[in-house]
Amino acid sequence: MLQNIRKNLKGTIAMVIITLMIIPFAITGIDSLLTGGGVQYLAEVNGERISAADVQVQVNQQKRRLLMTMGDNIDPSMLDDQLLVGPALDQIIQKSLLMQAARDYGLAVPEQLLVDFIGDMDVFKIDGQFDPVRFRQIVSDQGYTPAGFQQALREDLVVTQLRLGLAGSTFATGHEIERLARIEQEQRDLRYMVLPLDKFRTDAEITDVDVAAWYEANQDQYMTEETVTLSYIELTRDDFTRPVDEDRLREVFEIEKSAYQRPEERRVSHILITPADDEDDAAVLARIASVQARLEGGEDFAAVAGDLSDDIGSAAAGGDLGFTDGSLFPEEMETAIAELDLDQVSAPVETDAGFHLIKLTEFRDGESVSFEDVRGELEERLAAEEASRELVKTVEKLRDLAFNAEDLADPAAELELEVERSAPITRDQSDGLFADPRLIAAAFSSDVITEGYNSEVVEIDTEHFVVLRAEEHRLPELKSLETVRDGIVADLRDEAARQNIRDTAGELLAQLRTAEGASIESLAQAGGYEWQVELATTRSNPAAPDSLLRRAFQLPAPEEGQTTFEYAQNAEGDIELFELVKVIPGNAETIGEGQRRLIERQLIGEYGRQADEYFQQQLRSDADITRS
Amino acid sequence: METYRTEEEQVEALKKWWDENGRSTIAAVVLALAAGFGWQGWQEHQRGQAEAASLLYEEMMQAVGQSAEGSQADTLKTTGERLKTDYPSSTYAQFAALHLARIAVVDGRLEDAEAELRWVLTKNPAAEVALLAELRLARVKAARGETQAALDILTAAEPGSFAAAYAEAEGDLYLDLGDTDKAIAAYERALGLAAASGGGASEALRLKLSSLTPVPARDLAAAAEQ
Repeated sequence: MLQNIRKNLKGTIAMVIITLMIIPFAITGIDSLLTGGGVQYLAEVNGERISAADVQVQVNQQKRRLLMTMGDNIDPSMLDDQLLVGPALDQIIQKSLLMQAARDYGLAVPEQLLVDFIGDMDVFKIDGQFDPVRFRQIVSDQGYTPAGFQQALREDLVVTQLRLGLAGSTFATGHEIERLARIEQEQRDLRYMVLPLDKFRTDAEITDVDVAAWYEANQDQYMTEETVTLSYIELTRDDFTRPVDEDRLREVFEIEKSAYQRPEERRVSHILITPADDEDDAAVLARIASVQARLEGGEDFAAVAGDLSDDIGSAAAGGDLGFTDGSLFPEEMETAIAELDLDQVSAPVETDAGFHLIKLTEFRDGESVSFEDVRGELEERLAAEEASRELVKTVEKLRDLAFNAEDLADPAAELELEVERSAPITRDQSDGLFADPRLIAAAFSSDVITEGYNSEVVEIDTEHFVVLRAEEHRLPELKSLETVRDGIVADLRDEAARQNIRDTAGELLAQLRTAEGASIESLAQAGGYEWQVELATTRSNPAAPDSLLRRAFQLPAPEEGQTTFEYAQNAEGDIELFELVKVIPGNAETIGEGQRRLIERQLIGEYGRQADEYFQQQLRSDADITRS
Repeated sequence: METYRTEEEQVEALKKWWDENGRSTIAAVVLALAAGFGWQGWQEHQRGQAEAASLLYEEMMQAVGQSAEGSQADTLKTTGERLKTDYPSSTYAQFAALHLARIAVVDGRLEDAEAELRWVLTKNPAAEVALLAELRLARVKAARGETQAALDILTAAEPGSFAAAYAEAEGDLYLDLGDTDKAIAAYERALGLAAASGGGASEALRLKLSSLTPVPARDLAAAAEQ
């Protein structure tokens, strides 16, 4: 069709039509035709695609955060990309849902707000002033470009607006506060006695028959751990470090010498006399002479520069031009500068700009570095480079050899390496070389423990490699009765004590509930137990045991004129026997202002969290999310 | 396309076409351009409006950040009212009204709180915002003693992801009506929904439910066998 148009339409009308065709491109831009291509996408959220690169950026930031918070103690497996990608993708999906909602709601962060916000951030300030260099530095430390940082900040601000608007506007009504206050303010009168488990332990003999019976019945508690004993070859870069040849060191030093050396630098000021278009030589010379006269008269160079220099840029700074290393200014100037002593002023020097009177104001010695000075550093670096290369080569060979060999001895012999033998290691090994999760995974892989193959060469870091094979694999087995006897005796004693305390407590409880005249006080005194009274306690009371309070507040209120006897047991096995005497319902009218505030804050916190969470869930469930 | 024998015929044909269609072509072009630039202008205008509302909203949020007393509360109210009058169709105005409702609740002006929440609901808010506003409206109604009206609001809604919060509010209302069984059922539903959403239930909900479901005293031996 275009062919026909070109053939058939010439002249004005053609121009009109072509112009018409151009308009849409001019408005929408041609890049809509050019985008797309070989980018990999991990997910799509309501048609907005999330690329692998986006996720990687998030993963890298997460790694940086982990390293910052955990420092060198970090478990390297926590930095595994495989583990971080999933959560990073979830975060990005969540963020893009929020951003899409913000867009749909028509939320917008004006440029001005963004600029104010960045300008106000203390981290970017030096002496209370925003510092652009510091800004760029910090931002790039965080892995952002300045523009990327602004975009991320814009997104954060808009999401904050959204959350403040919804979750931030949460309230708790007085009605709700009072409802909760009635429960939290409820009080109960309690009397209780404590039976400590220790009091019920006995030295009664535990017979061999009892031990054997327990051992039989609880075998699963007395199993050894599964272990594997390994032979392995360990390669580190240090193993390959060799002294570096002297000639090689000198050669590299010659190449890199300039990087170690700092040239001499001279700081100069100048006064420039630029001939005007209609000025003749004599007039120019007269001007130069007048400058020289004032200088010779003892006037300050900077002051004269300020008055008479035609170089407006430097005149204000007393003629200062900063430091030169001999390559900054035109050659005529540099030659003259090189010959000046400190504070000496040159004769007029002519360049394209006019005539310069130059003063040397500061001189900085260059630093030259001798071979001996840097020898150690250089040797260390070259040796490390060489060792790395050797290490990589050897690892490559070892990969092949270990894969094909029946054991580790042959590959080791061929590469002149040592085979070492480990102690038995377990699946949750926590010390030594084999605490590394990648090595544990390799050691207990089915290839190694079942098939008896050599493992792959495992990279612990770029300077550290291990290949291993199983020498001896022990499945969990029952420990002998002798080795666990003491433990069993202790367990049996404990069991007996728990039975005793239950028997006694049960008996006492029955007496309390039925016997005429039996009370917490009388039984406690008779048995030698401690007893206490808690009048009008609330649910939280540090003076009373938690287990007691929890149970006492679960009980229904006793009938009029009656009390309820009940027990509670804590995690250590102690039993509290108690009497619930009275329930005093919470009265919302009597709560103090402070208490009221506390409950209000609690409710707003909980409702706010809910609002935020349910809102995001709603976005997610309404969204069309596909993961690829 | 037809083929033409000579250059003159071509020109003739084009002239003819132009005479017939020229006027409408020009009209179409002018219309398309006007629509295009009009759309851009409209969008520009919209963005300007949104940014102005955003700045005013930030001002309001600054006041929220500080204490809600005295002049800060006044700033909050005046900026909120300005958002509502100057940018009534913006989401910022809805957020402002939600905050004005909050302030009204704090001040004990429940009628005003209800009016603010109702205002949000008349502004055709996004579904999620509407769910939040309706839930809050029901809670304000409950505080005003209009328990049945509150229940009607809750039961009429399709609470989606807010189901747990709606169920908890429903439990509160049944408790107000003195219907303990229904309150327990609603709280238990809220607890289950909250657990299913992975967020976990609030402490307040647990406390309310446990206060309604006492566990009677047990025999020590029987408990030991459990």
